[in-house]
Amino acid sequence: MMTHFGFIDAGIVGLYLLLTIVAGLAVRKYVGKVEHYLVAGREMNLYLGIASLAATEFGIVTCMYTAQNCFKMGFSGVVPGILQTVAMLIVGITGFCIKPLRDAGVMTIPELFEKRFGQTVRWLSGVVIVLGGLLNMGVFLRTGGEFLLLSTGFNPEQFVQSHQLEIIMSILLVTVAVYTVLGGMLSVLVTDFLQFIVMSISMLVVTVLILAKIGWSPLVETVQKHHGAAGFNPFLMDRGYEFVLFNLCLQFAVVLTWQAVIQRVLSAKSTKIGRQVYIHTSFFFTARFLIPGLWGIAALAVLTPEQIGGNTLYAMPKFLATFLPTGLIGILIAGMLAADMSTDSAYMLTWGGVIYNDILAPFRKNRQWSEKRGVLINRFIVGCIGLFLLFYGLWYPLKGNLWDYLGVTGTIYLSSMSVLLIACCYWKDANNWGAISAIFFGAFFPIGFLVLEQLPATAEWAKGIGPYKSGIASYVVAGLAMIIGSLLKKYLILNKQTA
Amino acid sequence: MTTFWLLVTIFCIAWYSTMTLYVGVRGFFDIQKMLRALKTSDEIPMNKE
Repeated sequence: MMTHFGFIDAGIVGLYLLLTIVAGLAVRKYVGKVEHYLVAGREMNLYLGIASLAATEFGIVTCMYTAQNCFKMGFSGVVPGILQTVAMLIVGITGFCIKPLRDAGVMTIPELFEKRFGQTVRWLSGVVIVLGGLLNMGVFLRTGGEFLLLSTGFNPEQFVQSHQLEIIMSILLVTVAVYTVLGGMLSVLVTDFLQFIVMSISMLVVTVLILAKIGWSPLVETVQKHHGAAGFNPFLMDRGYEFVLFNLCLQFAVVLTWQAVIQRVLSAKSTKIGRQVYIHTSFFFTARFLIPGLWGIAALAVLTPEQIGGNTLYAMPKFLATFLPTGLIGILIAGMLAADMSTDSAYMLTWGGVIYNDILAPFRKNRQWSEKRGVLINRFIVGCIGLFLLFYGLWYPLKGNLWDYLGVTGTIYLSSMSVLLIACCYWKDANNWGAISAIFFGAFFPIGFLVLEQLPATAEWAKGIGPYKSGIASYVVAGLAMIIGSLLKKYLILNKQTA
Repeated sequence: MTTFWLLVTIFCIAWYSTMTLYVGVRGFFDIQKMLRALKTSDEIPMNKE
């Protein structure tokens, strides 16, 4: 495939990678305690928090799924981003859940649940968070590798024979692992900042170039031609109401309990700073969908069906490879690498933190692990997660939209954790029976859907149900399970005491 | 609806450009303060690896 990626671009990318590793390793000497490793000693201030959150939540995988969303749905594909902006604003302004969470001084959400519901709930929460989180993150490395290969002109049909994908994934993983494993959250924050600058500048330049060279009107006409009015109004899409409702539930749950996002609140110097980070970063999430979304629409406008091939996920990187001139393509790829590394490092640390803090909590209970041992174990866990990303990413056969897969896997834990958090903060009758029921039923539907989707006997049936209905069911059932379970225990114990 | 998306796009690009510049400058000073705070804390054992 024709591409403008050349030696100058390769040089730009190489220089940037080196700079990132040096910056990430330079702060290693400040890591002496587990608190420094996981939450940067709670010394993160507002602007660093904004840069870090923006960089973490914008990876290559973000670019790929938002571009695919808008390629397939037009501007309606931006709606999840708008919903997240609204959710984050509301939560930041009101302090709903995040205020009591930060005031509790915990490092993870399950740690808060132990105070209210007991150790079993903490452990189960940790398990379901890690399960959903790792399945969700499992495709990040592969998607990053595919983007890099496609945008530099490689042919996807050759990926398997020449093992190009495995090689690029391994290089990405080692680069990220080096500074994440050694420096933890401190390295993540510093490299996030650097990556935010490079990523933002390159994204803005590319977007302005697309609008200047292709133009706004042709993009609008392309959406009108391929998607009609549904390309501008999501309620006119097939399953449009389900799509909006599912994403509304999902985005509120993300804002409240997605560990990588909430970790910024937990790392903030104070509750007030944490809320301000949310308020000031909220519109970023619309930009996060809209900017690469425009690239997806541009791909639809410019590329022919033969050039796109069978996989719509590949359309945007193929478009960029031919559209961007030499020099700029190198800066963009450096920016995208930056974005991807910040995302991968933060998420590896996030899920690693939950494993150490919550799943291993019972094993630490009767033994006092030294800070040095704690940091070492965290590093080991992060290394294992890296290996999981490599093998799962190469093995798992993704079906349907990437955003839908991420939404369903995230829902494995988001449905129950958001319900538990709201109940924990605001309902005095919530108890461990309700919590355990919510965790079980909240995970059951999305896992069930993923399994049914893969089995030949049930694949068509699962397709008929769709990811949105199963996702909405998870949230509703998790809520009902919390209420029914809690009331059941309350009345049984009440009856027993009365008797 | 087309006008809505045009306005959102223009606002998005303008806001993002401004934020990048502002957060870039202020974030740099935040990093300096953060590292200074960790360094001067009595509880940090310096990593001698």
